[in-house]
Amino acid sequence: MKLPLLFITLFITSANLVAKPLHFGETVKEEQVTPISKLLETPENHVGKKVTVSGTIVGVCQKRGCWVDLASDKRFQKLRLKVRDGDMVFPLHTKGRKAIATGTMNAIPLSLPQTKHYLASLAKRDGEKFDPESVTEPMSIYQVVPVGVKILD
Amino acid sequence: MIKFKRNFWFKLNRSLHRDVGYFSIGLTIVFAISGLALNHIRDFNPNYQVTRIEKPVQIDVELKDELIIKNLLKNFDLKRAVKASYWESKHVFKLFFDEGHTLTFHSGQQKALFEMIEARPILPHFNRLHLNEAKHGWIVFSDIYAICLLYLAISALFMVRGKHRALGRRRGWLIALGALVPTLYIFI
Repeated sequence: MKLPLLFITLFITSANLVAKPLHFGETVKEEQVTPISKLLETPENHVGKKVTVSGTIVGVCQKRGCWVDLASDKRFQKLRLKVRDGDMVFPLHTKGRKAIATGTMNAIPLSLPQTKHYLASLAKRDGEKFDPESVTEPMSIYQVVPVGVKILD
Repeated sequence: MIKFKRNFWFKLNRSLHRDVGYFSIGLTIVFAISGLALNHIRDFNPNYQVTRIEKPVQIDVELKDELIIKNLLKNFDLKRAVKASYWESKHVFKLFFDEGHTLTFHSGQQKALFEMIEARPILPHFNRLHLNEAKHGWIVFSDIYAICLLYLAISALFMVRGKHRALGRRRGWLIALGALVPTLYIFI
């Protein structure tokens, strides 16, 4: 008796998964959107502050759905929304859809070796040559920890 | 009188163990299968099947985006509408389609990769339950399930009498072994 009931529950939840648009967490403050390019001009000024951003989803964590990358309004730029595993699970099939998110900006400071490793991986992805010796200063990666995300059609 | 009482509790424990065991079968299957899948998430994506097709392409990046898109679609014989496009870097251009399919063009290597994603039929739902993505309502039910498991473990100690009893010399070592392995992992 329990097993058929379980399967009915599972199929009901699957219907919810494909419903559009998708909402996660709290309501987003759509009227307070700041362009990603503006945030990333002086990211350190926004660390620890609540921000609302929007953009096309151009990357999703394939295994756990624990992050999405939003394309910036500026070319070659993107901003990651990162949640603790399980807090929100972003479906892989949302790539290419627009999203609006409200959350806190945070910084991940990298050490110099980590910075070199990070930049080397970007260069490898782009098929470019990379000289680790050219990097002399460590950098930080900026991301938003969202409390609310709305994924549009 | 004492013997009757002992038999009563013994039989009640066995009946309860049986029925709680039956009740727990469904969820045990869900948690066990998703547990295996999630343990091996680095080797196997339990939620999606991703099919990749890679092709060499010859496209000039100086062309307008519309022409690059047209060329890419032609190379992969794709008729579907492009939902969005994005230049990730000077050398990486991405196209997005409905259902989350992606076509990535690496201009430096003159190759493109088409990734088609398809949600697996049952496993994602098992994982969703296992990882408690459904949150509040599910917490109550999974708490009940956890209590059932505790009861099954404790009541198992009193299921068998005689030489094969759980706390006897012949089978007691199995309980000790089951406790020893996690204990070792804590201290190693």
